[in-house]
Amino acid sequence: MSKKHTEKKQFETVLKYFKKYKRYLIGGLISVVLSNCLILIMPYISKLIFDALKNNEPSSVILNYVLLSVGAAVLSGLFRFFMRRTIIWMSRYIEYDLRNEIFGHLIQMSPSFYHQTRTGDLMARMTNDLEAVRQMVGPGVMYISDTILKLTISFAFMFYLSTSLTLYAIIPLVVLPLAVNKIGNMVHSRSMKVQEKFSELTSNAQENLAGIRVVKAYCQEENEVAHFSTLSKMYIKLNMSLAKLQGVFVPTMRLFASLSYLTVFYFGGLQVIKGNLSLGDIVAFFGYLSMILWPVIAIGWVTSLYQRGKASLERINKILHSNSPVADTETATYEQQMLGKIEFRNLSFAYNGSKVLKNINLTINPGQMVGLVGKTGSGKSTIAALLTKLFKVQTGQLFIDDVDINNWKLDSLRQQIGFATQEPFLFSDTVRENIRYGKADATEIEIQLASDIAALKKDIQTFQDGFDTVVGERGITLSGGQKQRTAIARAIIGKPSILILDDATSAVDTETEHQINEKITTVLNGRTSLIISHRVSSVKDADIILYLEDGAVAEQGTHEELIANNGYYAELYKSQLLEEELEQL
Amino acid sequence: MSTKQIHDEEVLGKAYDARLMKRLLVYTKPYKWVVLLAVSMLVLNALFQTALAFITKTGIDDYILAGTADHFDILALKYLGIIFGLLIVTFFQIYSTMWLGQKVQDDIRMELFAHLQKLHLGYYDKNPVGRLLTRVTNDINTLNELFSSGVVNIIGDILMLGFFVSALLYVNWRLACITFISLPVLLVSTFFFRGKARDAYRVVRLKLARLNAYVQEHLTGMTIVQLFTKEKDTFDKFDSINKELRTGHFRSVLYYAVFYPAVEIIGAVSLGLLFYYGGKMIEVKTLSFGDLVLFIYLVERFFQPIRDLSEKYNVLQASMASSERIFNLLDSQPAIIDKEQTKTPEKFQGKIEFENVWFAYNDEQWVIKDLSFTVEPGEKVAIVGATGAGKTSLISLLYRFYPYQKGSIKIDGIEITDYPIAKLRSYLGLVLQDVYIFSGDYARNVRLRDDSISDDEIVSAIKRVGFDRFMKDVKSGLKTPVKERGATLSTGQKQLLSFARALAFNPDILILDEATSSVDTETEILIQNALLELLKDRTSIVIAHRLSTIEKADKILVMHHGELREIGTHESLLKEKGIYQTLYQLQYKRTSQTTASAK
Repeated sequence: MSKKHTEKKQFETVLKYFKKYKRYLIGGLISVVLSNCLILIMPYISKLIFDALKNNEPSSVILNYVLLSVGAAVLSGLFRFFMRRTIIWMSRYIEYDLRNEIFGHLIQMSPSFYHQTRTGDLMARMTNDLEAVRQMVGPGVMYISDTILKLTISFAFMFYLSTSLTLYAIIPLVVLPLAVNKIGNMVHSRSMKVQEKFSELTSNAQENLAGIRVVKAYCQEENEVAHFSTLSKMYIKLNMSLAKLQGVFVPTMRLFASLSYLTVFYFGGLQVIKGNLSLGDIVAFFGYLSMILWPVIAIGWVTSLYQRGKASLERINKILHSNSPVADTETATYEQQMLGKIEFRNLSFAYNGSKVLKNINLTINPGQMVGLVGKTGSGKSTIAALLTKLFKVQTGQLFIDDVDINNWKLDSLRQQIGFATQEPFLFSDTVRENIRYGKADATEIEIQLASDIAALKKDIQTFQDGFDTVVGERGITLSGGQKQRTAIARAIIGKPSILILDDATSAVDTETEHQINEKITTVLNGRTSLIISHRVSSVKDADIILYLEDGAVAEQGTHEELIANNGYYAELYKSQLLEEELEQL
Repeated sequence: MSTKQIHDEEVLGKAYDARLMKRLLVYTKPYKWVVLLAVSMLVLNALFQTALAFITKTGIDDYILAGTADHFDILALKYLGIIFGLLIVTFFQIYSTMWLGQKVQDDIRMELFAHLQKLHLGYYDKNPVGRLLTRVTNDINTLNELFSSGVVNIIGDILMLGFFVSALLYVNWRLACITFISLPVLLVSTFFFRGKARDAYRVVRLKLARLNAYVQEHLTGMTIVQLFTKEKDTFDKFDSINKELRTGHFRSVLYYAVFYPAVEIIGAVSLGLLFYYGGKMIEVKTLSFGDLVLFIYLVERFFQPIRDLSEKYNVLQASMASSERIFNLLDSQPAIIDKEQTKTPEKFQGKIEFENVWFAYNDEQWVIKDLSFTVEPGEKVAIVGATGAGKTSLISLLYRFYPYQKGSIKIDGIEITDYPIAKLRSYLGLVLQDVYIFSGDYARNVRLRDDSISDDEIVSAIKRVGFDRFMKDVKSGLKTPVKERGATLSTGQKQLLSFARALAFNPDILILDEATSSVDTETEILIQNALLELLKDRTSIVIAHRLSTIEKADKILVMHHGELREIGTHESLLKEKGIYQTLYQLQYKRTSQTTASAK
């Protein structure tokens, strides 16, 4: 009972679309019925023609039959056109809707979901699995209804013509779907093995190519070739075992079909000789046999369509049924102009079981500039992620403008915070569009201004297409520093109330960084900013600097205070001075 | 990767290129008997199918309509025999063509892989692994399809059509001609449809690629989408691409929806013509009932080979594109090869001389400038310098991974280009900074694929570097599985394993690029001890990041921006108050503190 219930729930995902497109579905099914009724008259007409010829009837009678059959074929063809035009059409509509549904859901999921799920898997859901579901609701539905009708009507005609001959003809055909299913499963399992071997072959080649330096340094070229050759031979061998099966599969199918013909030919022939049947009857039988052959084979095929579609649907449902932990709750209604006051109260955070932040207490007043330094993994970026609600606060509290962050409306919160990251993600679009991403209705002047603040303008002027230069995959690849500066321009263009730069200038040289900092300060003008960095130079001018060590605040104060303190921060400062010195040599 | 190169992967050119085809067919030469077998099976297949039509005709005319059942069973047995014959013939036909495809695939793949091993590292710098991998996998698979289903079956389809046509002409050429009226219509509409369907499919593929790229990009950058609250815009854009794809599909569906019924109607019309004219001929006794059935039988089978032929076009087109890419790769010449006359010493004494060496990866952007120094046999030399000083390039030159442009590099007084590459490299031992670990087990990573290195030698190497402390039992522990890139191993473990690798190969000269990544103190001590073991009684060049390594060096070379700036020992260089002193304060002082506290 409960199993049936869950099964039904699985199918709800597509059932609602069947309802939405019921016009197509019903129209399609009617077309299937009509086209089959028409096409299946044809073998019977050929019987009539043969009988007429045998009885030496005038050719005008024959002509009438011929015209009748051509007419039926044309009409049936018309309905077969409608059948595809409706049912397959519907499946494409459902595919489209379902793809939108999945993407629309994915777009709501928080980073924790994306950390647990590989992009490749999600891509597979949206391509292979979606196609499997479509095959089930489109061709699957079409072929199953077609098969049922064809078999029913054909058998009716055949039994009408001769019961005994029908029974003879059916015997080899009963075996056919069983054979199709059996061998089909074997083919499937062997091709899985071939696939496995192929990916082994691929990853071997991949490792060889990636580790070519080691291979060459240790002169392993010939041994590598020998090893690859063994793998390749094994792959070939598996392929051949699959080929053997396919070599059996196709002719066996043909054999059963031919056996069916033969029984009709032989036993039917004997009956004609005895005078129980006419030659026309046999010709009609031949016609029906060739019409039902494909539907009989299709039974096995449609079954596997259904099985695969169902499995894929379950995987898709898994995505659709997962929820984002940071989605707005009923209490998340606050959406006022942000002033920029931030308060951490006993805030701790654990990720995958390890503590990333330990009991952070801090109040940042509107307009303050805060610097965060510390080693990789000390928890700096987690603070930024919590502030933007990428992660949900676990223990302790986080307030913005004295409102608990959980009560902030997600959109409103994020719209008022500007964020630039160390590894800036730019879209494969023009530089202009990438900057405009931070403010949809930004004017040309605003874009120019933002790129000027981010010290990007000069670089852009050297590009042939200027602001229209396409970034990424198919265009110019920007340098690491240029990408970061584009991301900064994107973050500041919306004039956020809080600006977070998360190691956003790590690939920018110190001098340019200095320029950016100066310009940003003028723009900030009363706005709160959080500068996360490895470099002392980025945070030197901050109102408060925090040195994080293992998720806790180890040192806190202004640059001068911390230097005087002679602790971690001072150590970091010294080594960075030396580095600069070395560059000058 | 330039725009052009990415584009290359998608370009589909013409379906037939005589030059490429000629070169491809060379690969079938060793298997000409199999080709012959496949073709003869195809001939038999066509013959048998035609025979079945004639048996049916005879059965109807001479037995069923003659009203005599005498020997009718023998005719039925003949029919049975032929359909079993068809079973066997078809099996061998499928099996032999697939066998051919697999063999040719294997041959080309091996040739390609062996060729890749010969290409120098500069080639790998320019060609990303992913692209090279596609050549060895996907492109080769496309060729497999050409050989297993393309070339041979095209002959088969043409044969089949030929047999059917001649059979019809033989039985009654007048009726045959009437039947053939529909043939051009069928041919034209099939090829017209194929063309249209192919175009539609190409559009669909393009839209699908766009959609997938969009999804991939936005899934990767989902955090940015959300931070900038662009969910709605992103979805709307997705929706519009999704819609375009849907429209593309609709067009494709439309072609199929028209095509299949059209074929059925053409079939029905030609059947009608057969009935009408055949019927007239039967009336005047120029045609028998059996002949008419034979005609019906064969006309029904006409369509299959025609459709197959039209599908082969796609296979041909794809394989031409793939073979072009494969041949391009095969035609790229290895830049570093042995000279015709080489000198092969038993071993290296260990004297290394660099004289005014200049080197650039591209054009004139010198990475190493006028470098000269000498390492005496048995000497331990440390090279230090900031990132980008040219240290790693120096090692690559010694290994002949890249050709140097000016100057000379000698080992034991002989220019390194005068040695066979394999000998030169086997006398040297290399430990890279970024340790590359292969998937497999510990033993695989120590001996690589050199089976002449025994398990005992591996065990001894592992013990000497102290890696055995990570194994319960050394002997059985050799089989401990290792994931790709050593995902299950710590950084320190990976380094020790690579030390064991170098020891197992017992080189005359050891070249080591110390890893910079920090490890815990315990592992640090392990590594230091292993290093001592590794450098014992050997000429060595070490790119050093550890103070302990530097202190033990006989000579320190300080490199800066591709030039050799200072030479000396630790003490003498510290006194100079130059680059070394600054480097020391920046990098080495801290490592000395860690080790000191550990001791």
